[in-house]
Formats: sequence, structure tokens, C-alpha cells
Amino acid sequence: MKRRTAIKSLFIIAGGIAILPSCSGDPAKASIALNHLDVSADEEALLAELAETILPKTPDAPGAKDMKLHLFTLKMVDDCHTREDRDQFLSGLRALDTTLEQQTGTSFRKMTPEQRASVLSGILKEETTSDLQAFLKITKRRVIQGFTQSKFVMTDKKQYELVPGRYDGFYPVQS
Amino acid sequence: MPQLNIDSVKDRTFDAIVIGSGISGGWSAKELCERGLKTLLLERGRNVEHLKDYPTTNMLPYEFEHRGEVPLEIKEKSPVASKCYAFREDTLHFFVKDYEHPYVQEKPFDWIRGYQVGGKSLIWARQTQRWSDFDFEGPARDGFAVDWPIRYRDLSPWYSHVERFAGIVGNKDGLAELPDGEFLPPYPLNAVETFFNEQLKKNYQNRYVISARAAHISDPQPVHLEQGRGKCQNRALCQRGCPFGGYFSSNSSTLPWAMKTGNLSLRPFSVVHSIIYDEQKGKATGVRVIDANTKEAIEFYADVIFVNASALNTNLILLNSVSNRFPQGLGNDNGLLGKYIAFHHYGGRVRATYEGELDRYRTDGRNPVGCYMPRFRNVYRQETDFLRGYAAGVSAGRGYYSDTDAIGETLKNNLLNRKLGGWYIGSHMMGETIPKETSYVKLDANQQDEWGIPQLSISVDFDENDRKMLQDYFEQLSEMFDKAGFKNIKTEETKNVPGHDIHEMGGARMGNDPKTSILNKWNQVHACKNVFVTDGACMTSTATQNPSLTYMAFSARAADYAVQELKKGNL
Repeated sequence: MKRRTAIKSLFIIAGGIAILPSCSGDPAKASIALNHLDVSADEEALLAELAETILPKTPDAPGAKDMKLHLFTLKMVDDCHTREDRDQFLSGLRALDTTLEQQTGTSFRKMTPEQRASVLSGILKEETTSDLQAFLKITKRRVIQGFTQSKFVMTDKKQYELVPGRYDGFYPVQS
Repeated sequence: MPQLNIDSVKDRTFDAIVIGSGISGGWSAKELCERGLKTLLLERGRNVEHLKDYPTTNMLPYEFEHRGEVPLEIKEKSPVASKCYAFREDTLHFFVKDYEHPYVQEKPFDWIRGYQVGGKSLIWARQTQRWSDFDFEGPARDGFAVDWPIRYRDLSPWYSHVERFAGIVGNKDGLAELPDGEFLPPYPLNAVETFFNEQLKKNYQNRYVISARAAHISDPQPVHLEQGRGKCQNRALCQRGCPFGGYFSSNSSTLPWAMKTGNLSLRPFSVVHSIIYDEQKGKATGVRVIDANTKEAIEFYADVIFVNASALNTNLILLNSVSNRFPQGLGNDNGLLGKYIAFHHYGGRVRATYEGELDRYRTDGRNPVGCYMPRFRNVYRQETDFLRGYAAGVSAGRGYYSDTDAIGETLKNNLLNRKLGGWYIGSHMMGETIPKETSYVKLDANQQDEWGIPQLSISVDFDENDRKMLQDYFEQLSEMFDKAGFKNIKTEETKNVPGHDIHEMGGARMGNDPKTSILNKWNQVHACKNVFVTDGACMTSTATQNPSLTYMAFSARAADYAVQELKKGNL
């Protein structure tokens, strides 16, 4: 039993899936093992704040930080995205604080949740593309995916059935 | 499973050998075993036991590390397999990765393979339509390939035989171009599919959308329960392997059945190098196998040999089976072995939307198989400037969506309160292609695989007939959708290369004349009567039907014939 608990504690559950923790032992590195992305603990924390801005904790549902969707985002970008995407992601992540400070006089970290949401929405809608915007789009997409494809949404909120056992092609829509 | 002692010739001698355990090999083995033949079933890949070896079958989407997405590194190392719609994180253990088994593409060809017990029967799309005489008579009527040596009446009882056992859903539609079979209750058309079918009947003479005919058990019969299989539960996660045995695979059906006879010996990790031909006896006496793990060469012997290695690998084995009698490959007196390869043309899709009073309906649950539009072009007579025609997969549906423009609480609220989307309808083309001598596979002169077997070199391409057919599909489907009042009609060229359809066929075609074909009407090699080929390699032409059901029927029919001939002392 003890051994099993110990093994279990080696995994971090992000959005419902186990992720191997980083083995570097370097306290300045990200908390999960990544093959490509060189992300520091500080950048990971910033990404967590960003994810929480996209999907904040509410009385009825956990937020992105609770569900570790920032770690899910890192895992997906690291394993599934092209090199170009990864470069833009990292460059955008690193530009987040400085760009916002230049534009608004306040760094992302120091903004209120409302300020954060407003300024991010603005960048996402900008017509000129930038690494920062590409990074935000990737993060938003993966945070949404991690949320909608989580146990909380799929099973607890009943958005997915593994075994329907039926098919009705004329099912009346409830109005 | 009996352990094979390979120390003596006696222990390596069987009544029959079947090469390949996929959809056709499983049937060959079952039928031979049921008729009392001690049968050795050789499979080049690992064993996959029903239920036990379906590691992902009960996993929820969020239990996959990448939520079903295949990581980039695997995609980059397997560009061909990655193009397959079914190659996903939950199924990729049932697909050959490109780098594991290289082949030579003289022209681009996506060779999708499943090297394990059960082969691609684990991951197939399960669509099963019978051919009609409009298909068997095609080459003779339209002047291509050679005349099929059989007609529908020859295969009809064997279609029935395999359908009853496998479990095939379908509706008795009474269409001459797509004969009815032994059907379990169909998955009915939904509201918009029904509407589309009504519109077709109003606007055309011979165009229909029908419930798919597919290898699912909608109402288990005693023969299915006896196999340990139950009712399909509409999961539509079939390619993981089904925990209910709801769809047909070798693993769930024919192989355990054959095993129960006590006559089957299954040997995984057995890469067949070639078939052994005995010059004195004037027939094949066995097969040469390379153990996939130890690389040791072993010979197995039998009176009758069934080659079910999958269409192109069957060609490879026959081409590699050289002897003084057959210097160009077993049965290849005419030099046609490996030639006249054809496939199915999946070059286009057309989709549209529906708005109207049927918006009061949606679907509930899942239809695991969709609907089907049988070929309507050039059926009774030549109507177009291209030969033959196409069938189409059709399905309509209605999904949920969320507005994802905002961020913050609004976004979260939208994700938790999805909206019902509108109806869409989509179709994909499945065209007949004309087998040509210029479409071939051959042994590569330079490169071998790690078992010392020449790599297969593939040269297959589209032609002008295919291009004209694609345009016609776009025009006709668009017109049918337009006449039905559908909106936002969009055509899309898939740009798929041959092979992507996973319906490659031919190379050892059947025919009446040994000068122009490799196999006779019983799937026997003309010049080596105790070797039978009943997988896709035997196909003289391709028709438009999904081919597996026809391979199953050929396998059962040929096995029955082989046993009769064996008893008469003719093999």
C-alpha cells in the first residue's frame, strides 16, 4: 500500500490525467517533465495566472488553476505542437509581462482579474499578429480543451456518454 | 493454445496452413477447422486476444494523456499511418508505424497496415455491402481487365453464410444494384437523412440513401451469443476493440470459434518468406517462415495453403516464392502477378446544412455506421464520359457548440451551457477505379526488410477516368443537395493518394483463362492448385462496395471447395 501511494504521489493530476513530474531537481524549472519547452517555475506560475484569467474559479465550478490546465497546456504544446508553434508559444509567454507593462504601465501579474481579462481580449482581437497573440490563442484553445474534456465537464456535468446503448434519429428538441 | 514443437517435421506438418489472421484469414481458418482440417494459422505480428488485449477500450477521453491526439514525434515518424482517420492515441497500437516496416513508393501510396492477430479487422470501418451482377459483369461490359469467372449466384449463398455468422445490420431495400442479405435490424435513418431520401425519390429514378449495411450486432442471435458476443452499445469507439463484441473482427468471432474446434494452431510472430514448391510433386508443400523475434527460418508443411496476408503482402509472398518451375513467382507463368492493382477513389466530399421544420428534432445516442448511397451512375447502361461510378457514404447530424469568443466567467458559462447546433449533412465518395497493367507492385531489387525479405515497391496512380468521376461526384451530390433545399453546399477535394482508402485490391486476379489471370473461379492458383488466394489480391475489379464482406465470402467458399477437393484426392 505504502509503495503504491508513493508511486501515485509521483504523478500530478492535470485536468484528470497523470503527468510525470520534472526530475531535474532544479527549483527554477517547471514542475512537470518537458522534452522541448524550456519553461521556468516562474513562467509556469505566470501561465497558471493566465489560464485562470481564461477560466476563473466560480462558485459552481473549479477554475483553470484547480484543474491544472496550465500544465495540460504545457504538456500538449510540448508533445503535439510543431516547432514553430513551440517557439511562438515560448516567445509569447516571455513577452507577456513586458509587453503589457509597456502598453498599459502595469505588468500582467500586478493587474486585477478584470484588467487581465480586458487586456487579453484586446490582444486576441488585434488584427496584426504577434508571437504574443499566437501564444494566447494556443493557450486559450488548450485551456478550453482541457476544461471541456475533463472529468468535471464530461462526466460530472454529463456532457459525454461512454456507452449510450441507443440511437434515436427523431429525438424531439425540448423547447 | 497448443505449443508448437518445431523439432520434428511431423510436428511442423498440418493439413492446412493459412497465412494471415485478418478478416479473410480468420474465415479461411474457421471454415477449414470446422471441416476437420488441422490448421496452422500464421500471423506476422503479435497476438491480440479478444477483450484481454484491448488496453484502451474502456478509457474515458480525459484518461488519455493527449486527449486522443497523436503526439508530433509519432506523426513525423509515421507520416503515412498518421493520415488514416482511425490512427489516434486510443488506437495507434493496432497500426503499423511507417518506420517499423518500410516500403518503396515509386509513386505516392499510403499503405495502411495492421500487423497483429486480427489484422485490420480490429480497426476496419465495418461497412459490408454485397456485390451485384452489375459489378461482376463490369469488366466484360465495359472492356477492361478480364471477365470475372463467377457471377452473383456463385457467391450469393456464401454471402448469406458469412452474414449470418458475422452479424450484419441492414434494411431489405430491394435494390437490384445492391442485393439484400441476411440482415439484423438496421440503424434507421435520422430525420434529415429520411428527408433527403424522400427528396431523392422525388427528383431521381435510381438514387437512394439507405441504412448502412455493416458488421454490427443490433439484435444478437443464438450464433452470436455462442461466440460470446453481445449487442452493439452504440459507443462508436470500435477501433479500440469492442468489450461487447458488438462488431465483427477475427479476434471476437472467427478465431475463438476456430480455436474451439481443437483443430487450430495459431503462431504469431511468423513472417512468411515464401511458399515452398515441390517440383516432383508439382504442388506446394509448405511455407518458409522467419520467426519475427529470433529471425530463425522454419518450414511448415501442409496439403493446402491459403494466402490471406492482405492484398499487397499476398502479392509480395507469391512474387518471393520462386522455384525452377516458377522463376517469376508462384503461379506467375504469364508475368501478370503484381499487376492490375486498383483501389477505391475517395477523392471528394460534399457537405451542406439544413434549416427547416426538422429543426424540432435532434439525434440521441450514436449511430455507429451511418448511411449509404449505392452507385447510381452507369448501372444499367453507359451514361457518362467516364467508366463505372461511385457509391457515397452519407450521414446527417446535429451537434452542440459553445461560443468561445469571450474569456473569463462568460466563456466558462458558455462552455458549461452548450447550444444545440443546426443540422448538417455530409457525403464522401467511394469510386470504382479501373485496374491497369501500369499499376503494379514488385519486389524491390535492392532493399530488404529486417527478415531478409525484399521490400515491396508500389506504383499505383489515378488516371483521367478518376478525375472525370470526381467532377461528376461533385456535380451530382451538389445537385442532389440543392434539389433537397440544403444550404451552404461545399465541395472538398481530399487530395488523398491511392492506398489511403485502405481498399487496395488485385495483383493475383481471378479469371477463366490462365494466360490472363493468376487464379481460377475457386480462388485456386491456376498453375498450383493447392494454393488458394482469398484476400484482396484476388480481385479482378473493385466495384464500389467496401470489399471485406466479399473477401469473407470468397474465403468460406474456397475453403469448402478445398476440403472437397482434398477428400477427392485432387490436391
